[in-house]
Amino acid sequence: MLGKSSRNLLKAIVLALFGLWTVIPIWMVVMTSFKRQKDIFTVPVKWMFHPTFDNYAKAFSNGDFGRYFMNSGLVAVTSSFLAVALGTLCAYGLTSFGMRRSRAITNFFMLGKLVPAVTMLLPMFVLLHSVGLLGTYVGPILAHTAVNLPFIVWLAISFLKDVPKDLEQSALIDGCTKMQAFRKIILPIILPGVTAAVILSMQYSWNELVFAMQLTNMDTYTLPVGISRFVGSVSIDWGKSSAAATITMVPIIVVGFFIQKYLAEGTTGGAVKG
Amino acid sequence: MTRSNRSYLAGFLVLPAVAVVVLAMIVPLGYAIVMSLFDFQIGHEASGEFVGLHYYIAFFQDDVALHSLLTTLLFTFVALALELGLGIGIAVLLTEMPKRLSKLLRAIYSMPLLISPIIIGLIWRYLYDPTFGLVYQWLGQLGLADEFGGLAKPASALFSIIVADVWQTTPFILLVVTSGLSTIPHEVYEASRIDGAGFLRTLFKITLPMIGKVIVLVTLIRGTDAFRVFDIIFALTNGGPANSTMSLSIFAFKKGFEQYEMGYAMAISLITMLILILLFAPLVKRSAFMTRD
Repeated sequence: MLGKSSRNLLKAIVLALFGLWTVIPIWMVVMTSFKRQKDIFTVPVKWMFHPTFDNYAKAFSNGDFGRYFMNSGLVAVTSSFLAVALGTLCAYGLTSFGMRRSRAITNFFMLGKLVPAVTMLLPMFVLLHSVGLLGTYVGPILAHTAVNLPFIVWLAISFLKDVPKDLEQSALIDGCTKMQAFRKIILPIILPGVTAAVILSMQYSWNELVFAMQLTNMDTYTLPVGISRFVGSVSIDWGKSSAAATITMVPIIVVGFFIQKYLAEGTTGGAVKG
Repeated sequence: MTRSNRSYLAGFLVLPAVAVVVLAMIVPLGYAIVMSLFDFQIGHEASGEFVGLHYYIAFFQDDVALHSLLTTLLFTFVALALELGLGIGIAVLLTEMPKRLSKLLRAIYSMPLLISPIIIGLIWRYLYDPTFGLVYQWLGQLGLADEFGGLAKPASALFSIIVADVWQTTPFILLVVTSGLSTIPHEVYEASRIDGAGFLRTLFKITLPMIGKVIVLVTLIRGTDAFRVFDIIFALTNGGPANSTMSLSIFAFKKGFEQYEMGYAMAISLITMLILILLFAPLVKRSAFMTRD
């Protein structure tokens, strides 16, 4: 049996190693994005180097990167607001009206977790093609909204369960309608959770690849699709790709720090508390 | 407000969300079920030829298909086992750290979870690059560089992808298990210490059984995700080399979008969903989802 202090040291080492394992790959890409071409391909890897912004300039000038950025923003904002607005209202409808089939409908949303993206994508592609909407924003927005909705509904239900019933009751007695009670009393209470839900859905949409790749065209590509085109080519331009990757992942990681508390809850649809 | 007015309002609130899911999931699913019975070209769906269950039979006679089923199962079980082990292990270690430190570490650990799969692909292709990648550089120092084929050799490609997947998704398990562990009252640990139970005994006899439902839940979520795996394989190897990393989703995608066999692709993707449901349905009943209220 190890002594208490050496056991604590061992634990600290394991946690530190896991930290390094997590951080080094990310750090490598960020570092590469600031390297000059000749510093990228050195063996052994250069940890100290003369930084440059050339790769960023390149990504933005000949990579259509600005447009991908705007497209990603548009798709992410639209689909996540749709999903959270519809999902939260739906959750309120399911939990607060004593609806007879609410349990069955709640479980119906569970189905969404079981459909593989490709199973959804193939018929969606054919259908959108036949109605002439392939290549527009409609495809990715619809797909992202639909993928996010089930988990938003589940998450919002778990938020609403934490709101004391008396609050709504007394608002109704004071003469509020159901919707006024929701807007004035309930929504402010669940707002932090709802905000986290918006961010989590945006994060999914911002990062999503396969729907965005197949349902869009050159004008409507999102960031991940743009990057996949850098990566997919025979010889990767590591500098440019790393710059593009860094711009894409840094905002979402920074935002992630702020909704840390909700990550566990959000990713399980409220089944566990953060 | 009258009772019937209220139930109209409830319906009005619930309906739009249901409609979106029906429009974007149920309708395509139904359409796929029908069209998987036809041999058709995109843009000429109406002139497709009815082939009945031909594609479903073809799947079970197609070596590539069966191999990709095997690959998918292997990926799912190995990735899941590694991620559960590592995620639960680190989560347990974190509970013994001071609160603020454990919060900070969790924030750092969860970074990969937030990154787009295509960037995960970029990162790991960079690390696995045979000439200047960090993996080879470090293996080289141990004298093992020649033995490891990385993403380029069929024997090691799937494992290399699993490593990248473990890197990205272990934090998910870590986060969920951590929040599960936080629900265990402190007195339980006190009692077990007074009884003289050691670390491992406490872990296996008390901690893990108490978060059993949470573990079932993460297994369900992560397992279904792993079985549908597409992005990380697409970004790292796109199914190669020599089909050694071809998952069912990748296979269906290639059949549909590269070889334009849409009917067969839809059949493959529906078989994928069916196997997924058969594999994981037993877990749904036991997960925390169903029993939380």
